[in-house]
Amino acid sequence: MRSITLYFILVNLLVSGLLAQEEHTFDLSEIEKKPFQFGGYLEFRPVLFGLNRDSRLYELKFYDLEEGKTIAEYNFNALLDASYEKGIFRAKIRTNTDITKSFSGWTHNTTLYEALLSVNPSLSFHLDIGKKRMKWGKGYAWNPVAFIDRPKNPNDPELALEGYVVLSMDYIKSFQGKLKTISFTPFLLPVNEHINSTFGKPNQLNFGGKLYFLFYDTDIDLLFLSGGSMPARYGIDFARNITSNFEIHGEFAYIPDYNKKIIQADDTVGEEKYSSVNYLLGIRFLTKTNTTFFFEYLKNGNGYTSYELENFYSLIDQAYQSYLLSGDDSQLEFLSGAASQTYRTFAPVQDYLYIRISQKEPWNILYFIPSFTSIINLTDNSFSLTPELLYNPFTNLELRAKMTILFGKDGSEFGEKQNDLRLEFRGRYYF
Amino acid sequence: MKKIATVLFIFLVSVALYASDNTQLLKQVDRNLNPESFESYRKLINIEPNGREKEFVLFTVKKGKDKIAALFISPASEKGRSTLRLDENMWLYIPNVGKPVRITSLQSVVGGVFNNSDILRLDYAEEYDVVEVEDLGEEYLLHLKAKTNSVAYDKLRMWADKKKSLPNKIECLTEASMLIKTIYFKQIKDFGGGIIRPSVIETDSPLHQGYKSVMIFAGIKQREFKDEVFTLPFLPNLESLR
Repeated sequence: MRSITLYFILVNLLVSGLLAQEEHTFDLSEIEKKPFQFGGYLEFRPVLFGLNRDSRLYELKFYDLEEGKTIAEYNFNALLDASYEKGIFRAKIRTNTDITKSFSGWTHNTTLYEALLSVNPSLSFHLDIGKKRMKWGKGYAWNPVAFIDRPKNPNDPELALEGYVVLSMDYIKSFQGKLKTISFTPFLLPVNEHINSTFGKPNQLNFGGKLYFLFYDTDIDLLFLSGGSMPARYGIDFARNITSNFEIHGEFAYIPDYNKKIIQADDTVGEEKYSSVNYLLGIRFLTKTNTTFFFEYLKNGNGYTSYELENFYSLIDQAYQSYLLSGDDSQLEFLSGAASQTYRTFAPVQDYLYIRISQKEPWNILYFIPSFTSIINLTDNSFSLTPELLYNPFTNLELRAKMTILFGKDGSEFGEKQNDLRLEFRGRYYF
Repeated sequence: MKKIATVLFIFLVSVALYASDNTQLLKQVDRNLNPESFESYRKLINIEPNGREKEFVLFTVKKGKDKIAALFISPASEKGRSTLRLDENMWLYIPNVGKPVRITSLQSVVGGVFNNSDILRLDYAEEYDVVEVEDLGEEYLLHLKAKTNSVAYDKLRMWADKKKSLPNKIECLTEASMLIKTIYFKQIKDFGGGIIRPSVIETDSPLHQGYKSVMIFAGIKQREFKDEVFTLPFLPNLESLR
């Protein structure tokens, strides 16, 4: 009797499966365009940090706290997009809300990432006014020529970021022959105490532009920024497929009067002025087994030398010893404030190598991508290792688990970070 | 000597005419599948052996021999992504990442059995030479060879209906004639404007046993576009063409 029941269940499943396959339909009414659109994602991201209690940056951040060997952090995030289109006009808004529970309690923050009015009077001409990201450069982990973008986190380069308020336009022209496309994107970027206040020196009207060519199957951009909020800078980038599975790209930026801020022993911030050269070279290679190898080398001329970084760590050490003896934390507070803008960027020193190896859908598991990433500081040979698993079990649901381990001797960049281990899970639902 | 030259000349002319006829046959298949410039809506469905399915809807625009772009309309996780192909150059634009990144024909932006060259397909006659045509009665069997190394499949075997000049089945092979995937063309439908073609394309692969991908066309219509549509700066604005 049980085998008959099982037989009927199997037949039923088979028939319903076949019927399901026959039921695939697609009607144009499913994709009717609506003038108002709303979407985004909700995210939950718990993180466990393994603290490196002997490191200088641990001393700087946790000097008056006793948090044990690990701390947990729970992040809730909502990215919301809304747009409205009417004729040649389009309005778009993007907000990002972070709610975090960490060792210091609950915090929340909502940021307007983008708020933009676009006008498209023709296919060749496009005008934007409002807050937007310009997204310059060809590199994946770093972008030396992204003169007016906030720096990407090389540990998570695909994260949405906040833009700046600009007036920009695109003019596009196509051709037949080896030169296929030219486009020109000039922009104006005002800075005062209300608008773009974090960009640089206030009360300046900055301007710049990008000239793009698709020439001999190579993407080429010429870029510049001027205006006074920060030193003028000039750049070029390129990307090209050498073969169908082998891509090369690069960026070069030149800043004739770069001012590097250096924290002095007398608790002041000095400036060193010099011509800074920054460049990036990268390759991406796809094998027949769907393994992607990604290498990028960054020469960060804006960055610190090993000697300058070691000096900074010595200052922290002195300030910490002084705090232990006297209870006076003013020097640590000063270093913490000054350092957050200079020494604790995503690429504080001058030579880096980024390596990423990812395998698309191994063992025939669809929408599953394991990967392995390493960021190496070539100056002091410290590095991070990040194995990662990315999986989409259902439509619109993305799960990611990653672990980052930092290696480095005393005085090295990764050896002096406040944590030497980071375990992170991310669940993200798109709607 | 004269006789040999005459025979050789006739032979060469015959070969040229034969090749020209075969190329014409392939071009006719291309034109029957879609106009040279068009817009279309497609649903891609990846079906796994356990029955789990994932659907993607794309809006596609094509112009001439070498320009094609596609915009993801759904699901929400992919919405706004767009891809562009100019001849052998391919890019993917992801709204969060921002700048378009170069991709390859062998990758797949949707996962599953369809790869980028299947999704951003140019005319077969643009990428392949006809090496041989076999007459199988109601069908022709066309043996195609890739014109360059950058084409995703080195060889194709195309079974085409003689009367309709439409493909029924295509086998995609490596240079060593190893089967990579088989594409089946089904359910011929009148889309209007003289476009009568298969509305469903299915594919399976011995490399992905039990997996299947289906492409359903809901609308294809002839439409002319300016060249500027098929450029990187325009890629974030593809939605405005709908």
